Amino acid sequence: MGLQENFRNEQVRQLEMRDPVVVTADVTLREALTQMRERNVGCAIVVDEDRKPQGMFTESMLVEMLSHGPLSLDEPIEKYMADRCPWVRMDDPIADVLDAMQLKNIRMLCVVDEQNRVVGLTGQRGLMEYVAEHFPGEVTVQRVGQSPYLSDREGA
Amino acid sequence: MSDENKLSGADEFQDPLENYEPRQFDDPLEQALVEEEIGTIRHEPFTTISPDMPVHEAVKELAALHHACLLVAENDRLLGVFSERDVLTRLAFEYEEIKDRPVSEVMTSDTIYVYETDSAVASLAVMALCGYRHVPVLDLNDNLVGIISPQRVTEFLQHHFEQD
Repeated sequence: MGLQENFRNEQVRQLEMRDPVVVTADVTLREALTQMRERNVGCAIVVDEDRKPQGMFTESMLVEMLSHGPLSLDEPIEKYMADRCPWVRMDDPIADVLDAMQLKNIRMLCVVDEQNRVVGLTGQRGLMEYVAEHFPGEVTVQRVGQSPYLSDREGA
Repeated sequence: MSDENKLSGADEFQDPLENYEPRQFDDPLEQALVEEEIGTIRHEPFTTISPDMPVHEAVKELAALHHACLLVAENDRLLGVFSERDVLTRLAFEYEEIKDRPVSEVMTSDTIYVYETDSAVASLAVMALCGYRHVPVLDLNDNLVGIISPQRVTEFLQHHFEQD
């Protein structure tokens, strides 16, 4: 089966998924940022008591806030989060993730189960890993710049 | 040396590639990823800043342009990358103390890059294996010519998707 067919037929559950930073709306910005830093994840998903997504706070929003001045780190995250949290279901086709990334410029997508509860995080990196896995030969022989020893890093 | 000698042995030559079977691809997308060069993925526009730019100005630039990262360069030579992730991991709590320092102190300097003549899948390799979402592109003279983002890669994927 070709890559193109896989995109249409395989489901989001086949993508590499990350364990998301999940917080409730009353958590402080400081606490959310601390968890994002510790786990090296670019966003925090704000959920209700049933773990249903209510909003999202991303590193892009952090940059925007810092560009206007110092942060009020002890305010609840609810004050700063975006009210919408883009999501996909585990059984949606991978092509939907591709569309979200290209058409809506979405970098991170919350993955939810049948009850709309947050179960994971995927997006740009998950999709790139999925495509790269299709080309094990090409991926392992590529020279990738000057640094032979890679630190554990995600993001730049 | 006579012409006769020059050609002696020509009959014994065996082309080592005579039995080479060109790789078969399942679809045009796979073929494009392996056979097309990174230069065919959109790698412009890109924004460069000087290593001396103060951190607060670089943060303002990131926010104003809605970019996920800026390339730090001098005379077309790549020195590093200053990204949203650097802001999260190095500045979120330390901003007031660091905001007037030069961006070179907080940028990621061990940047991994690709050449514009590498195969398209190389940019995916860097993103997937190394976890860098934005990959600077250099020409063969090591001059900075662009940057590849996951969005630009998906554009490339979609383009070849539609040709089916």
